[in-house]
Amino acid sequence: MLLLPKFDYEEPKSLPEALAMLSELRGKGRVIAGGTDLIVNMKKGTVKPACLVSLKKVDGLREIVGENGALAIGSHVTVSQIAESDQVASAFPVLARSASGLGSPLIRNRATIGGNIVTARPAADLPPALIALGAQVELRGNGKDRKVPLDGFFTGPGSSVIEPGEVLTEIIVPAAPPFTGGDYIKLGHRAALEIAIVAVASRLTLDKPDGVIVDARIVLSSVAPTAVHAVSAEKALMGQRPSEELFAGAASLAVADCSPITDIRGGAEYRRDMVNTLVKRTLLKAYHDAAGVKGGGA
Amino acid sequence: MKKLITFRVNDREYEIAVAPNRTLTQVLREDLNLLGTKEGCGVGDCGACTVIVDGKPVNSCLVLAVQADGSDITTIEGVARGDSLHTVQQTFVEMGAIQCGFCTPGMVLSATSLLDKNPRPTEREVREAISGNLCRCTGYQKIVEAVQEASRRMKK
Ligand SMILES: Cc1cc2nc3c(=O)[nH]c(=O)nc-3n(C[C@H](O)[C@H](O)[C@H](O)COP(=O)(O)OP(=O)(O)OC[C@H]3O[C@@H](n4cnc5c(N)ncnc54)[C@H](O)[C@@H]3O)c2cc1C
Ligand code: FES
Ligand code: FES
Repeated sequence: MLLLPKFDYEEPKSLPEALAMLSELRGKGRVIAGGTDLIVNMKKGTVKPACLVSLKKVDGLREIVGENGALAIGSHVTVSQIAESDQVASAFPVLARSASGLGSPLIRNRATIGGNIVTARPAADLPPALIALGAQVELRGNGKDRKVPLDGFFTGPGSSVIEPGEVLTEIIVPAAPPFTGGDYIKLGHRAALEIAIVAVASRLTLDKPDGVIVDARIVLSSVAPTAVHAVSAEKALMGQRPSEELFAGAASLAVADCSPITDIRGGAEYRRDMVNTLVKRTLLKAYHDAAGVKGGGA
Repeated sequence: MKKLITFRVNDREYEIAVAPNRTLTQVLREDLNLLGTKEGCGVGDCGACTVIVDGKPVNSCLVLAVQADGSDITTIEGVARGDSLHTVQQTFVEMGAIQCGFCTPGMVLSATSLLDKNPRPTEREVREAISGNLCRCTGYQKIVEAVQEASRRMKK
């Protein structure tokens, strides 16, 4: 049996109290949300906080609030809540799809969106979808609050711009423009309990249903130290009229936009092939939705 | 330092002092002597430790007992009605969905939670619901059939 080392545990009743506590702990404290990453890492001995600060009793972190097509998602909203939310499914199906593929139902019932972001795994499921949707995160610190685009939040495997003592409170997903569609595909060895070998989130916006592409976002996951944009592929799509040939061209450019490694889950060569295939597939679906759905289908 | 927690387990109230580094699996097994909950991997992969917390099946090896303060918990010991097995348990026994039995408590809890919210699941939905519960023995087919048979019987 894997035993946990000794630590303290606190349940502050408000955010200011939690922030004061974290700042007093000077980097020796950690927020615990669902614990599905943290407890595993503590059992394996890779992180050793002296005190866990649970935000369980802090109000307002567990709601999904929608306004004019945008969503504000509290950091402690669970992955199952996102996967099962009609509001998420109708406004941002890409996010719903990425949530329903995370872990197993048991994990999804505990895992939170905030934990999935802050833990900064290169293969995490929610960040690519959220980046493609242009999400921002709200970080509250002792004395300073800031909003940061998720694009640029991650700095490497396990690291991000969040500072010790800061709490991620909310994820803000802006309303999608009209004629927008998207898709997320995760490739794993089995359907459940498998982190991605390769995952791709794409989103396209057209100027009118049979028009040209005015915005293209392709986010690749598990093929670089953090989720990355397929920059040259995105460029190649801008201003163009959608077609299968165009998407095939973009997909082959995307292969050069990433730097996959070989590990036990897959070889670099295989990952490059899959980037090609998944980019093509997600773009086709994104286009299909963008042309057919008014008011945003990503 | 130990913390005082209160929770309901299988409809019984408990008030106990626990150290923050003890998991819910440990406290259920070691303090409450509810040995039906198994610990396999300890890191969320196998589902042997599945219990229902506030209506949702979770891996109890990844829940600190202190986090369960104020919760309502069901373990496998709370599933049967007195001496008669729950329909899901009965179909598992009848249909060969149990071999060594190590995964069974977790499987049964994932299956009963599914049937509570979706009394007529498709085969795919059954497979999805038990996808966090590993079984080394049965090959899953008989488990899926047992859950589907339980769903038919419970409808009547
Ligand atoms: C068996 C298993 C399978 C998994 N499969 C997947 C998978 O397929 N895809 C995937 O993406 N992930 C997977 N995970 C990883 C994990 O479940 C997710 O990353 C989950 O979303 C983490 O959320 P949590 O609430 O459990 O985080 P926690 O473990 O509580 O926290 C994770 C980290 O984030 C910090 N943190 C949490 N919330 C905040 C906050 N609000 N502010 C500041 N810091 C915070 C914590 O201090 C900690 O460092 C899996 C894990 C397990 C055990
Ligand atoms: S013991 Fe908890 S999932 Fe394996
Ligand atoms: S019956 Fe042996 S592990 Fe499932």
